[in-house]
Order: sequence, then structure tokens, then C-alpha cells
Amino acid sequence: MAFLRGLRVFVANLLRVSSGEQPRDRFRVVRTTICAVAAILSFGRGASAQIPTDIVERSRADLQKQAANAEMKREGGTQPQDWAYSLPDGVSTRQVTFYVDGGFPLYGKLFLPRGFSARAGRWPAVVVGHGINAISIGIEKYAARFADRGLVAMAIDYRSYGFSGSEVSLLETDATTDERSVWEREARVQLKRTDLNNLHEVDDFRAAISFLQGEPGIDADRIGIWGSSNGGSVVIMVVEQDPRVKAVVSQVAGVGNRPAAGPVAIPPAALADSIQRARTGKGAEVDGGFSFRTKIDLWSNQANREFRPGSAVDRIPETTKILSIIAEHDELIPAAGAPDAAKAFKGTWQVVVVPYLTHFQMYSGTAFEVGSTLAADWFLKYLK
Amino acid sequence: MRFVCALAVLAWATPAVAQDVTSRDVRFYSEGIQCYARLYLPKNFKPDAKAPAVVLAPGWMQTEPSIDKYAARFAARGLVAMAIDYRGWGRSGGYVYLAEPIRVDDRQRFSQHTAKVRIRRKRLLPVDQVLDIRNAVAYLQGEPGVDPARVGIWGTDMGGGHVVVAAATDARIKVAVAQVPIIEGKDAPRQAAPRPPELHAAELRLARSAAVPAAPTPAGADAETRLALADYHPFWFADQIADTTAILFVIAEHDARVRNDANAIAASKAMKGPTGVTVVNGATHGLATPGAFETAADAAAAWFLKYL
Repeated sequence: MAFLRGLRVFVANLLRVSSGEQPRDRFRVVRTTICAVAAILSFGRGASAQIPTDIVERSRADLQKQAANAEMKREGGTQPQDWAYSLPDGVSTRQVTFYVDGGFPLYGKLFLPRGFSARAGRWPAVVVGHGINAISIGIEKYAARFADRGLVAMAIDYRSYGFSGSEVSLLETDATTDERSVWEREARVQLKRTDLNNLHEVDDFRAAISFLQGEPGIDADRIGIWGSSNGGSVVIMVVEQDPRVKAVVSQVAGVGNRPAAGPVAIPPAALADSIQRARTGKGAEVDGGFSFRTKIDLWSNQANREFRPGSAVDRIPETTKILSIIAEHDELIPAAGAPDAAKAFKGTWQVVVVPYLTHFQMYSGTAFEVGSTLAADWFLKYLK
Repeated sequence: MRFVCALAVLAWATPAVAQDVTSRDVRFYSEGIQCYARLYLPKNFKPDAKAPAVVLAPGWMQTEPSIDKYAARFAARGLVAMAIDYRGWGRSGGYVYLAEPIRVDDRQRFSQHTAKVRIRRKRLLPVDQVLDIRNAVAYLQGEPGVDPARVGIWGTDMGGGHVVVAAATDARIKVAVAQVPIIEGKDAPRQAAPRPPELHAAELRLARSAAVPAAPTPAGADAETRLALADYHPFWFADQIADTTAILFVIAEHDARVRNDANAIAASKAMKGPTGVTVVNGATHGLATPGAFETAADAAAAWFLKYL
């Protein structure tokens, strides 16, 4: 407001000068000019869509040390010591169950900031989602950090991961008919874990958003989402479908583009697998890799290749604020994906490169401090 | 001469199609759910040959018997034809949920149990139905006597919209026919819109309650279906179909259910590859007027025989 007042005085004085009218105070023209210029400069900085990234520069030496430290190499995934954290003073947690696909139970852990009250105030909230074959335990520390900064945060397990429910299939013929829409019975079933499926993860995020929007004390108009690695691709897919999200942080994530024309190719091994799967109900598995050594379906990798969040950024509402955090030497993610998508997006999409690091080093040490601080800064700026 | 022969065959074959064609029940798996289909084989079908084949997908709240006659007619024209029930409909299995939780560690990827289950049927989830069509294509690719490189898809009504999405997302699908398709209109916004308040409230309830959502009825869609439909935009996929994919749109001249100009005709214009629009004169959405079914089915069969 000071800026606008200064500008008005400045323009008024200029008009007086240009109309030949003698200003009452000659120095006032000079003074208001200086004020106006200063105000314009500070206004420009204050209104910047970007967040300051000086923490990256300040941490450069430590990041370099972390990258070079033999103890801090994380070539195959994160390690249990990377998941540890201590709950910040005043932050409390609560385990919750929420539902996707009309009754499938999912697990979430709510982190409530100091002073949170379901009856007083309207708090901003963030869904925190993990990567491929990780679970919420590994990323709780991000949720704890966000809560420490005044945000409600909910770390979730996707379908068939961690503490969320299993995929269920019948081991006997399904004799139910269209006579009724719901049947209850006892049956032999097979439960399946680690059923990697980006299509499902998008819906799991959206169900978590719905859960938070219905949670007392939370402001439904101030919802953010955070995802890392594959979860960082999924959060971009979420905002391509769901206009409720105001702010997004996508960390060490691929934001791929669709091939120039038509659907993604299916290599012979995946083709053979899809046929076997359709005819027998069973298919091949591959090593799911990374932080937990479980298998995933071979077809999961193929199906996830169909989703190219970078090819649909025009579907993201331009008011959505997106931050990409990239590890400079990420061995899993092509470097150009997020910057290209950011350029194609008409709204605000800031890209921050954290120097020296490889993919899984982002989750520990100085890199965690840098990544979680930037993310919290982003949410605090845009969920105000 | 061929034309006259074809007419003669048609005239003769119309009531007696089934005499030349054999059919049998088959089961295919779609994301772990055992689904039903009726497989129609043409005359002189040989398991050691390489015949072209088509998956047929029914419309809104419809099941396999509603499209049987199309499959039989395609088979009479020399195509292997597989008419499917979507998961949760007809003779396909339903969506299975545990009625009581069972904890399994992620390291035990598969485990077997006797459990109380809840099975849900008659849901209208377009994304799942598209996957059912694609998994039926995979099934046919493995069928002895079918050329895996020559499998097309056909869908009517809602299934016609699914055809557009499947053709845009599945590299195996090179030829498709969308009949009286419901493809969200070309003028629909290209970005997701906020839900109306009442639907948004329903979305929150579904995420926060273990209660089983209501099923759709012929009278109207339930909240779950309306949410799924609000998220489903086949037209967004229309311009992603490869220029090597051939799609025919078959429409009814007097369709009161869908606006042809904003659906099939507009989608056809968005195609980069071979495409066409066949108008069935005098027909309404159900293609039940005399001769409408035959015209629509033969236009589709001719398209498959030309491009497969």
C-alpha cells in the first residue's frame, strides 16, 4: 500500500511538473521518485513467483561432502537409517484409514502442527507420497518437517504397500450375478502386495486429498501434494486430473513426454506377458528394486510407461504452483524432463537443481535438509 | 460380380448366420478378475491358420447378449469375434474386497486365505472397462488360429468411447470401429473442472467411509459413477491416436442420445490416419429400425476386413 501511495504522489508531482505547475516542494519530486523506484524494485521481488534458493548455495560445500562420502552413497535405494527422525516438539501424529475405489482401505499417518485444533482455525494440508517399492515409513520425516513448519501433513501408503490393504482376487469361480450389486460370502482368496500401478496411485492421492478436505480443522482450499521419485511423477499426473490441488512439490521425478505419435510401444517380452496374464491370470515378475527388495509384475513397468505426465501439462490449471527438485547427477531420471515440462507450463513451475547428488542421496543428510526446506517454503508460500 | 455374390451371401446368411459360425464360452482375466466372453469362429476356422479377430464391447449397463448378433455377423464375414462382459457385469466376476482386514507383510507378495469377502457388481467405471477391452485383445492374441498382429476392437454406445481411448493408449490396436459412440464432446474443456458442491461432498464421503457405495440404476447414476464419468474424457485421447490406426465411426441419423456432430463426427475429424463416418439412415441410437443393425454391422465388418 505504501508503494501505491508513493506512486500516486510521484505521478501527481510529475503531472504538476509537466503541466508547468510549480511543485510546492521541489525536493519532494526527487524524494517520491526515489521512493517509487525503490517500491517498484521491492514490489517486483515480493511478487516473484519463485522461492529463494540460497539454502542450496549455502549448503553447496556440505552437499559436495555428502556426495563424496563413501558412507553416504545410496546406489541401490535408501537405507533404514535414512528413514529415522525425531518428532519435532509440539507435533502430534494420528494413524488414519481412508478409502479408495469404493471401499479399499488405505493407510495414512497425520502429522499435526503445534497449536493445531480441529475447532479453531483453518489449516493448510499436504499429502506426502512415496516412490516405487518404498513405503510411508521412509518419508514420514518429510511429513514431520512440514508439520514443524506449520502444515498438516499426511504420509500415505498406496494400495498394496505398507499398511494399506492388499489387492484381492478369488481363487474360486465367482458365482455372483447382476441380481444384486453387493454380495457377502466366505471365499478362498489370493492377496497380492506391491502391485505397482500409477493409475491407482493417482486415485490414492486423490482419495487422500478428499480425506483431508473432510477433516475438521483443515482448509479444503489450501491443499498441497508432495511426491518423490515415481511419486513425483504421480503428483504431476494428479494435477492434470484434479483441480483441487493448489501447490505441488515433485522431487527427483521423471516427467516424461509421450512419443511423437500414438501409444507407447510394447516390447515382445511385455506383449507375451500380457497374453499369458489375460489367459491364465498369472504373469511374470521382475525385481521391483530400490528400498524394499520385493518383486513387481513385469506388466507394471509397461503399464506405467503409458503415463507421460510431461505430455499433458496443458491440462494443469494455470493457477497451480509447481516446484521440481532435481538431483544434479540423478542416475534414474533424464535431466531434461522437469525443465521441459516447466517451460511448457503457462503458470508457475520452478525448477531447483541440488548439485552433486545422485537419486537416493536426496533423502538423507544435508540433501534432506535442503529438499525438505525448499518443499516447506513452497507450500508455505502458496498455501497461504 | 463380387458385389452381387456378397449381396447374395448376405441375403442368405442373415437369418442363418449361426449355421456356419461356431461359438463357445471363454474366460479371460482382466487385472485378476475372471471375465466372460463369447467367442465366435468363422466357417472353416483352423487353429493353425492366422485369422483376423475383433473384440466387441457393450454399451452403458449392457452385457454380452446385447452385442451377440454383431459378433455372429462378423464371424459370418470371416472374422474371429469375441463379445465380452465387462468386469462386474453379466457372467464376469465382480470387484472383490476383504470384508475383514488381513495384514500381510510386503515381503510376502502372494498369500492365500479363506476370508469373508464383499463382491461388488454393476459398477460403471470407464477406465476399468477400457482395460477389460485391452485385456480381451491380449487374450485373442494368444488364441490359436488368430493372427496376433491383426486384432481390432468394436464398441457401441459407451463402448464406442472406450474404443477411442483404447486405440490411443494401446499400441496393439490398429483398427477400430466406434458405433453410436459417447465421446465427451469436442467443446468440453480440456482441463478438469471443479466438481459441483453436492458431488464434491459425495467424493469426500467416499474417501472417509467404509460403507459400500450405491450402485447405478437405469433411472440414474450413483455418486461413484458420476465421479468416474466426470473424470472420463475420451475426446482428450482423440488426437493421440497414431496415424497408422484406422477408425470408423458408425452413427445413427436420428440419434437422440448423443449429438453426432460434437461426438463421432468431431472425433473423426481429429484423426490423423484412415477414418470415416458411416451414417445409418433413418436409425435412432439403438439401431433397432429395420435394416439398421445389418447396415451398421456390415459397415464395421467391411472396415475390419479392409484394414486388418
